[in-house]
Amino acid sequence: MEPIMITGAGIVSAIGNNRTETLAALLNKQTGIAPLQYLKTAHREFPVGEVKMSDEEMKQRLGITQEPTTRTSLMGMLALQEALESANLQGRKDLNVMLVSGTTVGGMDRSEQYYLDYLSNDDRNDYIKTHDCGATTELMAERFGLFTLATSISTACSSAANAIILGANLIRSGRAEIVVVGGAECITKFHLNGFNSLMILDHEQCRPFDATRAGLNLGEGAAYLVLETAASAQRRGVQALATLSGYGNACDAFHQTASSDDGEGAYLAMQKALTLAGLQPSDIDYVNAHGTGTPNNDVSESQALFRLFEDKVPPVSSTKGMTGHTTSASGSVEAVICLLALQHGFIPANYGWKEAMENGVRPVAEVQKGVALHHVMCNSFGFGGNDSSLILSLVSSAKDEHRKSTPVYIQAATHISAQQPLSEDWMSEPVYHDVPYVRSADPDFKAWLNPLESRRMGKIMKRALVTAMKVMQDTGVTQPDAIVTGTGLGCIENTELFLDQLCREGEEMLKPTYFMQSTHNTISSLIAIKGGCHGYNSTYSHKSISFDSALLDAYLQLQLEDIRTALVTGNDEMTPSYFSILQRTGYVGAPGEVAATETSVAMMLTTEPCEALCVVEDVRLSLGMPQLTDFVGNVDAVMLGYNGQQDNDRIYETLAAQLPDVPQLHYKHLFGEGYTTSGLGLYAAAQLLKSGVAPAFMCCGGRTEPLPVNRLLFVNHSDGQDVCCAILKRL
Amino acid sequence: MEELIIELKKKIIEVLNLEDVLPEDIENDAPLFGEGLGLDSIDALELIVMMEKVYGIKIKDPAAGKEIFKSINTMAEFVSKNRTK
Repeated sequence: MEPIMITGAGIVSAIGNNRTETLAALLNKQTGIAPLQYLKTAHREFPVGEVKMSDEEMKQRLGITQEPTTRTSLMGMLALQEALESANLQGRKDLNVMLVSGTTVGGMDRSEQYYLDYLSNDDRNDYIKTHDCGATTELMAERFGLFTLATSISTACSSAANAIILGANLIRSGRAEIVVVGGAECITKFHLNGFNSLMILDHEQCRPFDATRAGLNLGEGAAYLVLETAASAQRRGVQALATLSGYGNACDAFHQTASSDDGEGAYLAMQKALTLAGLQPSDIDYVNAHGTGTPNNDVSESQALFRLFEDKVPPVSSTKGMTGHTTSASGSVEAVICLLALQHGFIPANYGWKEAMENGVRPVAEVQKGVALHHVMCNSFGFGGNDSSLILSLVSSAKDEHRKSTPVYIQAATHISAQQPLSEDWMSEPVYHDVPYVRSADPDFKAWLNPLESRRMGKIMKRALVTAMKVMQDTGVTQPDAIVTGTGLGCIENTELFLDQLCREGEEMLKPTYFMQSTHNTISSLIAIKGGCHGYNSTYSHKSISFDSALLDAYLQLQLEDIRTALVTGNDEMTPSYFSILQRTGYVGAPGEVAATETSVAMMLTTEPCEALCVVEDVRLSLGMPQLTDFVGNVDAVMLGYNGQQDNDRIYETLAAQLPDVPQLHYKHLFGEGYTTSGLGLYAAAQLLKSGVAPAFMCCGGRTEPLPVNRLLFVNHSDGQDVCCAILKRL
Repeated sequence: MEELIIELKKKIIEVLNLEDVLPEDIENDAPLFGEGLGLDSIDALELIVMMEKVYGIKIKDPAAGKEIFKSINTMAEFVSKNRTK
């Protein structure tokens, strides 16, 4: 791969509010783990790594008074500010700077305070729209006003590492010259109680890789890195602090919360990172381990390290004994720690370690200063076996690569939605719904899943699994190289059940199943577990461009020839109480609007020429309105997401006005509205390209004849802020 | 004891959402985890919550669950000795 410069970085965590403070704490082996100070919870017994500022203090430091905010977004803004300043990017609206951020908690800190208000009154309505992951990223993006793309990754504890990987792919594909990447996550009562229900929190200071380790301490924080092409850095006259020379993402495909005994996913992720970097195991001078301190992780990760490095394991330490486990932010928090280690030539200590564990690595117990480091590895593993590994280098080993743009096909696709489920022929008999809220028409799940394996699955998971299985079956691609999912809200039913218990019954005896199923990446990882798929696995959660972001991720990797097949899925479900909140607050369900519905769509993308539905010529995301005439060319139709809401439809009208003579198609009158309905629209577009005609009932403007279509522009927007454009062509 | 055994089986089916499993399908001596009923670590955590909610028994070490939840018989014995409600 081509060398990717790191030209800026910012960090906020329990051990410091910027890079200077963080460096001092690391060099002095100071822990930030302490008794609870800021989070309001009954569980005072757990030590945590809190950022040592209240929300108000953070706002003062940022010089803002706005509400609503989320604690995660405030920490994110602080770290982003430092990253942008250090890369000399503050206010540079003239440059094309993108933002990819990881979070899982999003606005949960507010939702857990106001949940009962959301259900019953209008006191806290402003906060409802800050709940999802994408809202937190957009709060941060708005603060700086210079990003040309913003999206959010939610793969639990590897979210930030995967954000770094997408950023690198955006650069390698030539889409971007500068991408700011990382993650942010505050501690919430929700996941403190969730981890407690899984019984993996230590009541003492945590001790990764120690014989007496008894779990993790939760931490919080945010960190961002500025990735940049060498040409751009040179042009702007900024120095590279280090380079990102390799990365790997693999799935353990073992269990939703436990890691496999042999650390297969971790091993594969590290191996991929080395291959991409063109390095040998012996080139790695230090490994910043995921090292959470849970009995399970540290055994599994040790085995993976032994498999990769054999008897020559380089110095290893986990810095979570100082920062706590910063969950979705840990990938970038620890990448910045690795950056500091490279720049200042030291190996951070594995705080808390005293006694060697059986069959485990022996970590570096004290800070080692004056060490020349060339290449360091940084591991981040998440629930569902979403394992990622990064390699940072002082001087890159990477070589320039020839930029590839291999054709990408949509081989097959299927859906469970408001239309006839799993049917290729639904267009011949479309169903219309004249009610404000429609649940998906479900197939007989028992024909696909046995009751024992589906005992913990909510509807969304069953639908996601069945659509994925159907596409894998239809294409014969049973183990795709990548599985990428988009979901606006993830498994909202389980999230709601856990929140309900938490808010009504208190912080004891909560159901672990609700918590483990509430993470967004449950869906993609379940598909991987079911199919034994150890390839790339990731999840996007960014409002109405969640599916579109997943599509872009897969498309870039296919074009780069990093992979040959990718399963892309879009899934969202609706609950009666969530619908009632949306209806009460006027977000959905008004007369004249399409129904609020649920989505499950799965499609197989491939670079192998085949009898496909269509070719994907381009996928673009932007924050702000794109200039369509710059890249669209001649199309026979533009497919738009009209849903009957004035504000929404006006934006589509404005976009379509750029292509005044192009006939318009619509699809939401068939599928309804939801965060990932765009996946269904894209699916319908691919299907009609296969036949070469769009049926009249999909044409706008009262057309009564089918419309011949050979090349089509698909346009989707989210709140008029983010826009996705995809160009599809008939084979 | 016989009553408690039936009650435990019903509770397990309910708490773990074992659709299509009837109390009589679960043998008193058969292993609940791994080979037998095929339960896993998350089910064990659910059973720990159930023990506290229904029988007032607090299990602090998840590893202790392995012995207690070996079979219906071991569970019943543990409950009858330790229950506080």
